[in-house]
Amino acid sequence: MKDRMPELPTPPSRRTMTLNLTDAEMDALEKLSALKDLSKTAVIRQALRLYQMIDKRSRDGQKLYFEHESTREKAELMLL
Amino acid sequence: MEVSKIHLRRVRDGTLVAADLFDDIADEHLAMWERSWLPAMRVALADFRRRHVPRDRWPQDLHWNWREKAVSARGLLGQQGFAIVCEERLQGMMQLNLTKTSRLPQQRGKEIAYIEFLAAAPWNRAELIREREFAGVGKILMRVAVEVSVAQEFKGRIGLHSLPQADAFYEKCGMTSLGADPRYEGRLTYFEMTAAQAVHFCTV
Repeated sequence: MKDRMPELPTPPSRRTMTLNLTDAEMDALEKLSALKDLSKTAVIRQALRLYQMIDKRSRDGQKLYFEHESTREKAELMLL
Repeated sequence: MEVSKIHLRRVRDGTLVAADLFDDIADEHLAMWERSWLPAMRVALADFRRRHVPRDRWPQDLHWNWREKAVSARGLLGQQGFAIVCEERLQGMMQLNLTKTSRLPQQRGKEIAYIEFLAAAPWNRAELIREREFAGVGKILMRVAVEVSVAQEFKGRIGLHSLPQADAFYEKCGMTSLGADPRYEGRLTYFEMTAAQAVHFCTV
């Protein structure tokens, strides 16, 4: 007998809101949506996850670095 | 915390047993980990020592502190924990990170569900116990990771760093190995599953 596919717990209830974005912001959102193959909602959701994580780590006293893949050169992203 | 019904296969008689899948690693699960999982690991370790089993064959997740991992992830939208409970015992846990992107050339930069930690309880592991209670706990947690990835529009893409003892398991799951990761001094192998591999994994 085959194992059954697990069903995920019911997703949390969601609320709808209207975003007021400038043309440039909407353009950036649409470009990210196309690049990442995600809906605009999913892009915003992902941005929120990253923003929250960076904010928490920053408040915990950690620094954020970008490292160049080949040169391994590091550059700190200043969060003020 | 939400819960859904899944089924685990009992090794002894092959029957499917109803189990609960929780979308969080809550205090009750951590209490179970401390009460029964950790002592069972210690018993297994003592047995390994007594039988002079070489250190490289000891469970490589011995040092994982699930309380620290779960507590540090609380409140973060990019982190999601899962716990499986069956017959009032904790059977497995997984911690997902939803803030990582793919390294595979064909899906580079696309979001993945990254498995930070995944483990079956000691009584479900063939290397620790003569007769396991339930089989397939790791595979079910892998499927949960794929389902989360799909739900987040990541198309089933997942990634993880594997302990050497688990490499064969992830290869069997159909994941692509990107080799030993120099960021972990080559101790861990990085694996990814593409959308197509996820479909295959969930249908075979």
